[in-house]
Amino acid sequence: MSQSLRPYLSCVRTTLTAALSLSNFASQASERHNVPEIEAQTSPELLLNPLTVSRNAEERVFVEPSVNSVRISIRIKQADEIEHILVHKFTRFLTQRAEAFFILRRKPVPGYDISFLITNFHTEEMLKHKLVDFIIEFMEEVDKEISEMKLFMNARARYVAESFLTPFD
Amino acid sequence: MAEINWRTINIDAYDPESCYNFDLRSLTPQVQPISTQDVQTLSGQIRQLMRSGQSEDALKGALENVPYGADDAGRAIHLSLITELLQSIRQADMTPLLQRLYSSPNGSETCDTLMKYLYKGMAQGTTGHTQTGQGGKILTPQATGFTQAGGRSFGGAEGGGQGMSVLLSWHEK
Repeated sequence: MSQSLRPYLSCVRTTLTAALSLSNFASQASERHNVPEIEAQTSPELLLNPLTVSRNAEERVFVEPSVNSVRISIRIKQADEIEHILVHKFTRFLTQRAEAFFILRRKPVPGYDISFLITNFHTEEMLKHKLVDFIIEFMEEVDKEISEMKLFMNARARYVAESFLTPFD
Repeated sequence: MAEINWRTINIDAYDPESCYNFDLRSLTPQVQPISTQDVQTLSGQIRQLMRSGQSEDALKGALENVPYGADDAGRAIHLSLITELLQSIRQADMTPLLQRLYSSPNGSETCDTLMKYLYKGMAQGTTGHTQTGQGGKILTPQATGFTQAGGRSFGGAEGGGQGMSVLLSWHEK
């Protein structure tokens, strides 16, 4: 792991561990409802200070904690146009299958590429440290995946161009 | 009149008892307003300490005299001061310094304040495209400014991770 990635991930890990102290909290605005407060935004006193952890201008994590839910938004590194397209396709693929991932949010927060929404029901069902591990692992993997896809795409483009231009040789 | 879509109006917001009209200021503690000049003189004093090599005292002084009542400009000055301080402290000195800071009286509050500034510094690096940092000097915008800002806030993050681990180890004890 690169030198600057390790403290970035450890900082995200400690931030998430601190933020993921959730409790069951029924809605104050409407009776018999229990909604993630960070999404409903009906009661400002239940929302905590949002935190940003950034590695550089392009890579950052935005954690918005509230009393019964935490929204985690990740901005994935995009060095150029190709990576931008690849990231878009990749996150779209994931968010379209959001129900299989439980904590994935269907739409990212503006300015970020992918968002997760963890509620108190998730932390009751699943182990908290495993959830944190999952997010960290996702962040590690997604960079690798994107750069791998870019390499494959370039190799393929070279091959296609070569075979296309052979008759004109 | 027909242009207004009545369905999109949030009627709950018109209820005087609604939580949308909840005054958040009633929850925040009352603090003394501090003028920007005062913040500037304080940061000047702390910079002097830093230049004379007493970065630990400087950091402690900066974290214990946080201008909670200052306006945005004053806060920005204090933030840039603290990030500058954190940059000036060498990596090897970080852990013993944090340990001393934490073991001193009011240490945990000082460390909490440090954490607040670390997160604020990191949030700052992402939002401001062109930053005026470091004593009003205008940094070269975009590319170079960005790397500097990123690098600076990142130095803080490193300390943050260590600060937390120090706090955790102390908690365990």
